[in-house]
Amino acid sequence: MKHVKTLNTLKESMKKGGCGECQTSCSCTVGNQTCENAKR
Amino acid sequence: MKRTLSGEYDGKSATKAGTVEISGVHKNIKEKKVIHQYKSNGYNIVMDVASGSVHVVDDVVYDAIALIEPEIGELDGHGDLAGELCRKVTERLKKVYPEVEVAEALEDIQMLIDAEELFTEDIYQEYVTEFKARETVVKALCLHIAHDCNLGCRYCFAEEGEYHGRRALMSFDTGKKALDFLMDNSGSRRNLEVDFFGGEPLMNWPVVRQLVEYGRSQEQERDKRFRFTLTTNGMLLNEEIMDFCNREMSNVVLSLDGRREVNDFMRPTRNGKGSSYDIIVPKFQKFAKSRAGKDYYVRGTFTRYNLDFSEDVKHFADLGFDQISVEPVVAPPEEPYAIRQEDLPKIFEEYDKLAAEYIKRKKEGRGFQFFHFMIDLDQGPCVAKRLSGCGSGTEYLAVTPWGDLYPCHQFVGQEKFLMGNVDKGITRTDIRDEFKLCNVYAKEKCKSCFARFYCSGGCAANSYNFHGRITDTYEIGCEMQKKRIECAVMIKAALADKEECPQ
Repeated sequence: MKHVKTLNTLKESMKKGGCGECQTSCSCTVGNQTCENAKR
Repeated sequence: MKRTLSGEYDGKSATKAGTVEISGVHKNIKEKKVIHQYKSNGYNIVMDVASGSVHVVDDVVYDAIALIEPEIGELDGHGDLAGELCRKVTERLKKVYPEVEVAEALEDIQMLIDAEELFTEDIYQEYVTEFKARETVVKALCLHIAHDCNLGCRYCFAEEGEYHGRRALMSFDTGKKALDFLMDNSGSRRNLEVDFFGGEPLMNWPVVRQLVEYGRSQEQERDKRFRFTLTTNGMLLNEEIMDFCNREMSNVVLSLDGRREVNDFMRPTRNGKGSSYDIIVPKFQKFAKSRAGKDYYVRGTFTRYNLDFSEDVKHFADLGFDQISVEPVVAPPEEPYAIRQEDLPKIFEEYDKLAAEYIKRKKEGRGFQFFHFMIDLDQGPCVAKRLSGCGSGTEYLAVTPWGDLYPCHQFVGQEKFLMGNVDKGITRTDIRDEFKLCNVYAKEKCKSCFARFYCSGGCAANSYNFHGRITDTYEIGCEMQKKRIECAVMIKAALADKEECPQ
């Protein structure tokens, strides 16, 4: 796109999210957390 | 195939009568904040709240989105309005931009809508409610290993480590029961967390060591993996402790407030003699260096007395620390050091200064991490995590030296929130159930906030302390959080800035 640069959707994380193995947030804030599944 | 104005699929072209039709937008999106756009450091940024998409755009797209956004809720059921809207936007913008550019901008906007990256609907409320209704497991404990402290910090919510109660050290027996409680109640969760907290944990160091060794001895047999962490003021740090922490602690938080005069005013020694800064800084410098890539944070609190806190962050960086957090104090409004509404413009200015310094040093190859500017736009947490937050009172509990269980470290000592103990487990399931329902959709103010997927509704303890209920928000904290998110996203834009970037 000529006028837009996109830097990165949450909807996709509904498919396999929610495993609960990630770090407790307060640790890290939720926003800066990286998904454990995504890291593997 | 394209979404129509009512959200169904009809396969019609987006282009009609020589102009671009803005289609595919749902009728109920006006109920919640759908986009957030702002200018920062020369960047035009558009955040699409529900998809998490972040766009850096040029002026014409920025202005077009600003004109479209207020109208967007009226589109459903009035298909011909889409064409009208585009004509209206074109009429307004062609006075400023060439008409061909406006048409291109509207095409780009339509492409983002089609990709579900702009004006997307928040569809997660039912999903997260179902998610939270699952059986509760415990995966993290905050062990109050010592209700005692060797500093007398003025703002400490633990009241010199005593938490509205008595001085006490946790015994190994109580700590062992806590770890057993955690393993027994963690279900299929493999990654477990134990944070040694206080007071000052190093005042009970032998028990910290014993508990780590006990936890490690159980990992293979129970198929669990412990992530141990420690928060310390550093007064008692020595070689032996550093070596042990470097082997066993995934993260250590080193408490220090910044410049010498700032630190020593708010973090005096117990007898008021000498400088805690002078004692601690050399130890922390040595400790941070010895971490050799493992996580640590030098973590300070800023108050009304040092609203120029970006200077404290820079001071930390100049001391050689590269993982830094400096955070606003949360205190009753009558305290002279408490942050007030009128301080916010100055604080926002400081965050902007800090963001500029962060980018500058990063580009010079001497960057540092700042806790509240860290954001993962690509592999961030899933929606379930973002909406359910820290898990206080459910997945995360605090344990007192005598084994009582509380929803989190900030509720310790408030008897109303006593949930049980390590011998009997959770006996007040009603408290757990109350916390279980605490998510962004339970908080009226969060529903319409652009930051809801980054902050998860804020801190339950802050809400309780300011409003007497856990489902409210601490407004001053919200304003600062939103500003930090704006800075963090702008930093991402600046660091991604290359030739192809439109700004």
